[in-house]
Amino acid sequence: MPERKIKILLSKLGLDVHNRGVITVAKMLRDAGMEVIYLGNALPEEILNIALQEHVDAIGVSSLGGAHLTLGRDLIDLAVKEGIKNKTVFIIGGVFSIEDEDKLKEIGFDGVYTAVATRDEIVDSIRELTGNTRCLT
Amino acid sequence: MENKKISTSEILSSGIKNENKTPLYNSDTLKKIRAGYDAIRASYENQPSGPGWEVTPHTILGSEIPRGLLYTPAQVSGLDYDDDIGFPGTEPFTRGVHRNMYRGKKFTIRQINGFGGPEDTNQRIKYMLEHGGTGISVIHDLPTTQMYDSDDPISKGQVGMSGVAIDSADDMEILFEDVPIDKITISLVTHYPSNTAILFPMYLAAAERRGIPFNVLKGSVQNDITLEEVVRSGPEYIPPKDCFRIQCDNIEFIKNNVPYFNFNTLNGYNLHEFGTSGVTEMAVALSNAIESLDEMIRRGYDIDWIAERLAFFWSISSDFFEEVSRIRAARRLWYKIMKYRFGAKSARAMWMRCHVQTSGISLVREEPLNNLIRASIQALSAVFAGVQSLHVDSYDEAYSVPTEEAALLSLRTQQIIQEETAVTEVVDPLGGSFYVEALTNEIEKRILDEIDEIEKVGGYVASIEKGWIHNRIANYFYREKELIDKGEIKFVGSNVYRAEDKKPAIEVFRYPEGVEERQKAKLAKLRLTRDNEKVSGSLGALEDACRKNVNIIPFSLECARVGCTVGEIFKVFKKSFGLWKPPVFW
Repeated sequence: MPERKIKILLSKLGLDVHNRGVITVAKMLRDAGMEVIYLGNALPEEILNIALQEHVDAIGVSSLGGAHLTLGRDLIDLAVKEGIKNKTVFIIGGVFSIEDEDKLKEIGFDGVYTAVATRDEIVDSIRELTGNTRCLT
Repeated sequence: MENKKISTSEILSSGIKNENKTPLYNSDTLKKIRAGYDAIRASYENQPSGPGWEVTPHTILGSEIPRGLLYTPAQVSGLDYDDDIGFPGTEPFTRGVHRNMYRGKKFTIRQINGFGGPEDTNQRIKYMLEHGGTGISVIHDLPTTQMYDSDDPISKGQVGMSGVAIDSADDMEILFEDVPIDKITISLVTHYPSNTAILFPMYLAAAERRGIPFNVLKGSVQNDITLEEVVRSGPEYIPPKDCFRIQCDNIEFIKNNVPYFNFNTLNGYNLHEFGTSGVTEMAVALSNAIESLDEMIRRGYDIDWIAERLAFFWSISSDFFEEVSRIRAARRLWYKIMKYRFGAKSARAMWMRCHVQTSGISLVREEPLNNLIRASIQALSAVFAGVQSLHVDSYDEAYSVPTEEAALLSLRTQQIIQEETAVTEVVDPLGGSFYVEALTNEIEKRILDEIDEIEKVGGYVASIEKGWIHNRIANYFYREKELIDKGEIKFVGSNVYRAEDKKPAIEVFRYPEGVEERQKAKLAKLRLTRDNEKVSGSLGALEDACRKNVNIIPFSLECARVGCTVGEIFKVFKKSFGLWKPPVFW
């Protein structure tokens, strides 16, 4: 039986204006054989609503404008409330301090990526992370 | 009969009559030099290994123009001193727009500021001025830039981030409190036509309250459709044609009422940084400028009068000689466009005046102090190129908005260039270099070719509507990411010479606390204390103006005066013009 494609929802978090990174990642993941939904700019509520409707394996958000901790925490809190935190991989990419990279992991992001992440690092880690959650379900 | 549109390059080549007034090389000399060059090249190419004579450099945001090992008069054999180089302050302005350049007026040290509330940024502005900054540039936070109020649910958690929060004219007053806006030049980084139409009137209303007349205000707004419709990611967009109309309304209003303000700073910077070559950066900005000026002529304005307040904003990246040549090429090309396409007569209307900023995307997270070196080298190329105004990025900006200490280092970088190196004493120091002149020629040709391409698509606004420009950019930056991953575009300490210990030993900026609450409290008070009848009346008048064929800015100025908020005014635009979905290519 062929393996089902990894399905991932990507979004800009809130009002951040910078989208070069997230659409580059969208293309990388699609070229790597994943099914990608790109939402554009959205708030945590909308991101989770779409994720629930689409039954995605992973949610990736992009934040370069400084709101990664506030909106990132909102997203994870809401995901816990909706009961999809443990069934879905949460990743975040953008511009963060080293200290904030650690904080984002503490908040509950499974993967945290900055500008130095290569295509292979991003694709491989999403495969690995979604592989882990799929074993759980 | 089909009316074939003549391209800009055709107009320029028929306009320029190269009379060979002052040829630099005679044919006997050239013959001798060419023979020597050919011999060296042949012996190089006979070597069995190693790169070819021409190498294509891969640098961040580079144009991939092949470079020979050596440049001689043979590569610039057609150079005519008067037509191609000339004297500074005279046509074709290749060497600079002013006769005495930096001896007459040093480049403006204009560092960008913006974080937290207007109270916080006001402190930073004063700090920079106290330490020798000679101009001010202010950037707005995410909600203000995207035109939502701080108390809009969409703004939650983002107030005061990436810039300063401005909700109304009251905040503009606080932002510039005790700052001599009647004496120094203020650049309001209002990227988009829409937010220029909202925020600049708030600035004017704040000036009015201080009793400062509009005709002493000096500075610039950005007001660029490229930023609103191409470079931006946002939840809501108005259609390109309406955005372009607002861009032109801003130009018209500002030129008529605030005569010393640059009404339009064609922003190549954010486009270049978004991910495109330096050639496309300039082709797009120049195409946009051409289309705006066409519209101003259609509205009945004299080209020499209107064009004198046009300015440009470029990003300066790491390919040192390309960046110097690019600025020189744009100066010469803009002069030709103004002279031959628009028939301008005044020198000022032909000037490509520019502010530049070192490249943010070239900053690297690992070993962040290295970014001081990157930014310094980029800044030096900008000064060699003869720019009017400069911002040097701070070393910690790969992590966040700069700390006060890092911002001061950027300021000091500029002062060291101005005071300690003597590079500002001589005009266009690289002019006449065979290499730089050859590269200037090549880049000018490539920019003009891309302007022609945009014209073939139907003009600049059409190239946005069709997604042509979005697609071109996406193709560039996907490829660039591959080149970075493969290590062909190199970053020292990151993808080459990577050290084991990657932790930075720097303090990074922390946003001030409580900004969102402070902005919300001010808004709540404003909504209670302002004359709400006047507010709805002026918003209604603005909506009428948007739907009619009149300039909307006098109406948004009235909105600003009576205390309308950023979000309230943007709502009028959305209601009047409707929404547009920009294409995303991936």
